[in-house]
Amino acid sequence: MASPKVAWGAKGGFQLCPLCGFEFQTDDTLCRHGCPLRSHCGLIRCPGCGYEFADRPSGILGRIRSLIAPREAWEEEVCALVPLRTLRAGARAEVVSVRESRGDRRSTLAVYGLVPGAEIEVVQRTPAVVVRIGETELALDPAIADEILVREPPGDPKSPAP
Amino acid sequence: MEIHQPAGVAESRPRLLLVGNPNVGKSVLFKNLTGRYVTVSNYPGTTVEVARASSTWDAGATEVVDTPGVNDLDQANEEGRATREMLARHPDALVVQVADAKNLRRALLLTLQLAERRRSSVLVLNMMDELEARGGRIDLEALSERLGVPVVTTIASEGRGTDDVIRALPTGSRLAVDQGLVAKLEDAYARNRARLEQVNELLQGVFALEQPTQPTFGVRLGFWAMHPVKGLGLLAAVMAGLFWLVGLVGAGTFVDLMEVGLFQQRLNPALLRVADAVLPFPHEHRIEELELTVEIPVSPVHAVPLGSSVREVEVPEYELTGPVVGWRRAARFGHDLLVGEYGLLTMALSYSLAIVLPIVATFFFCFSLLEDSGYLPRMAILVNRLFRAMGLNGKAVLPMVLGLGCATMATMTTRILDTRKERVVTTLLLALAVPCSAQLGVLMAMMTRLSLPAAALWIVLMVAVVFLVGWLTARVFGGGSSDLILEVPPMRRPQLANVTTKTMGRIRWYLVEVIPLFLLGTLLLFVLDRLALLDALARVGRPLVVGWLGLPAETAAAFLVGFLRRDFGAVYLLDATIGPNPALDEHQILVAMVTITLFMPCFATFLMIAREHGRKVVVAMTLFIFPFAFLVGGLIHRLAGWAGL
Repeated sequence: MASPKVAWGAKGGFQLCPLCGFEFQTDDTLCRHGCPLRSHCGLIRCPGCGYEFADRPSGILGRIRSLIAPREAWEEEVCALVPLRTLRAGARAEVVSVRESRGDRRSTLAVYGLVPGAEIEVVQRTPAVVVRIGETELALDPAIADEILVREPPGDPKSPAP
Repeated sequence: MEIHQPAGVAESRPRLLLVGNPNVGKSVLFKNLTGRYVTVSNYPGTTVEVARASSTWDAGATEVVDTPGVNDLDQANEEGRATREMLARHPDALVVQVADAKNLRRALLLTLQLAERRRSSVLVLNMMDELEARGGRIDLEALSERLGVPVVTTIASEGRGTDDVIRALPTGSRLAVDQGLVAKLEDAYARNRARLEQVNELLQGVFALEQPTQPTFGVRLGFWAMHPVKGLGLLAAVMAGLFWLVGLVGAGTFVDLMEVGLFQQRLNPALLRVADAVLPFPHEHRIEELELTVEIPVSPVHAVPLGSSVREVEVPEYELTGPVVGWRRAARFGHDLLVGEYGLLTMALSYSLAIVLPIVATFFFCFSLLEDSGYLPRMAILVNRLFRAMGLNGKAVLPMVLGLGCATMATMTTRILDTRKERVVTTLLLALAVPCSAQLGVLMAMMTRLSLPAAALWIVLMVAVVFLVGWLTARVFGGGSSDLILEVPPMRRPQLANVTTKTMGRIRWYLVEVIPLFLLGTLLLFVLDRLALLDALARVGRPLVVGWLGLPAETAAAFLVGFLRRDFGAVYLLDATIGPNPALDEHQILVAMVTITLFMPCFATFLMIAREHGRKVVVAMTLFIFPFAFLVGGLIHRLAGWAGL
């Protein structure tokens, strides 16, 4: 039932700039916006500071590499960032960021208490995502839930200890 | 709600503004303070009008103003605008902020916004019983000290704590929270985040509440209602219940009682006797034997009979027994106008009060029940994905369900939708394919004449039209749609007093709107009949009605009065359907039902669409709906004929 965590460096996943520490989605990288080479150069350009760095190789190569060189602590921390939509029902998490999008949606969500730092509990995932923030139950379109990044607390119910 | 007082007196009175989040019991407190009830619903947007009434505790010396529930005074929608306007218009009025004690965090967000506006206020913590039942605690003294205003607790639904509120009013003072820094922030989002930080500080050590470990039945029911599988089951059950109560009990039993039992058996003969005495001319009314059967319906064709009564009564049809000359011609004219075949009393009143009223009343009762229970937002969640295909979000289901009651009222409710595109598409669907309860009841009665496949075809066709037209308009219309963000209120047991006052309020609104139009429609028919224009109309409409739809020429009149009220047109058709030798056969009933359902909404809805969306939209919708209804009707005539239905 648990959907796979979006891996660090994977397509549609998250990147952490090794230089400035800026967290961003791979899709937001400057390569995807206007660079004629697109992603063919194999480098990722941080939208924060402009530093270019090599994407972590995916596929078999990546797996072999991750066997030899395990992820560092800071990488693990970024790994734990997932879109709200991927949490299963009953999971608790802390909101880390709400992506800025059109209109005053962030402000609307803030009124219900859905801001970075808020503790939330997922009530259900389909047909719409319903989260509980304190005493407020809020139904969100899956599209919105995609734009909210959360961090699950260590030892979360999603991966129970054997 | 208005007060009848000289303007000068009203202006000088002290005022109280009730402000608070949605669904915290503001309107109940308003009732406790003023003795007046306002219908405020369990979902946002139905009432953006501001209610005012005089206080009861000091013999009307204070004016109490109820504002729509808001989460954010800066919010861009109608409620936010109305509340901001009331605050700006009465700068010196004392604000009574009503809060849900369980959800103090969100209430304080609003408190801080009031502090930024430098308002004097009293904070009322309502629903204390629910907080205590959950083992929550609030340190009232500390909270009062930190905010610098009196804090009072109430259980408004039981009327407890109202006296405390009244006692605290004179001590209401300016909020003592310094908001200078927040007000300097330019971005609304940044301001709200800063306020949330402050709220967390304010609540430090003041407020404690644990999440319940054992969910109550209400909570569990609330989960089911949103569950993708169980929710659909519950939705089907709710719809079946609605159909049974409105379509069978309301449109069957209650209409029989009112139409046959009250009007045809008792009121009409009495009216006829009075009219014959006052306006005499030589004539004799036909005597008919009318049977009233009272039964409890089980299914569209099965019922448990309770009893019946047969009476021999006079009916409006009459035969002349002598020459009508001189002033007696005027007497006959007056007689026909009032109690004739198209009589203002016999037709308009019995249509509106005996047929439409019982159906609408049962629907409004059911709707108020659903509204009070908190079920409707959960329904919006369930259908969200389906509605996305039409460029709408789940919230649009609320006007659509209300449209099953009255399309005019529902058109007004489209305000709760966020973008103009969503409002226009929803309005179009309402005008086109969502039958209002009066019409629905009549259609149900017609449906009992249909075979099962034909009835199923009608239902499938209507649903298909909604989605096809919705899907197409979503592509044709420019403009964005919005994603669903909807607060889900807890499921509560509906309060009977709430439900009845809401139902009564809606029925009153409906009658004021409907009776004049029924009178007008009947008058129109009467005049056309007198001038022998009904036959002329039937001739003109012949190619369309007979040639294209395959219906008898007389039904042209149904479409004409359908302009005035869609249900009037449907009732007219129903009259042709029932009885010993119906004018329509089964195939024609199906065609007529399809056409009249898709046909224009009533005149009042037109006015409302023009008011909400402008004249251009009305014209465009008319140009689309009119040909579309006849097009589909004609196609069904041919297709169903070919399929043998």
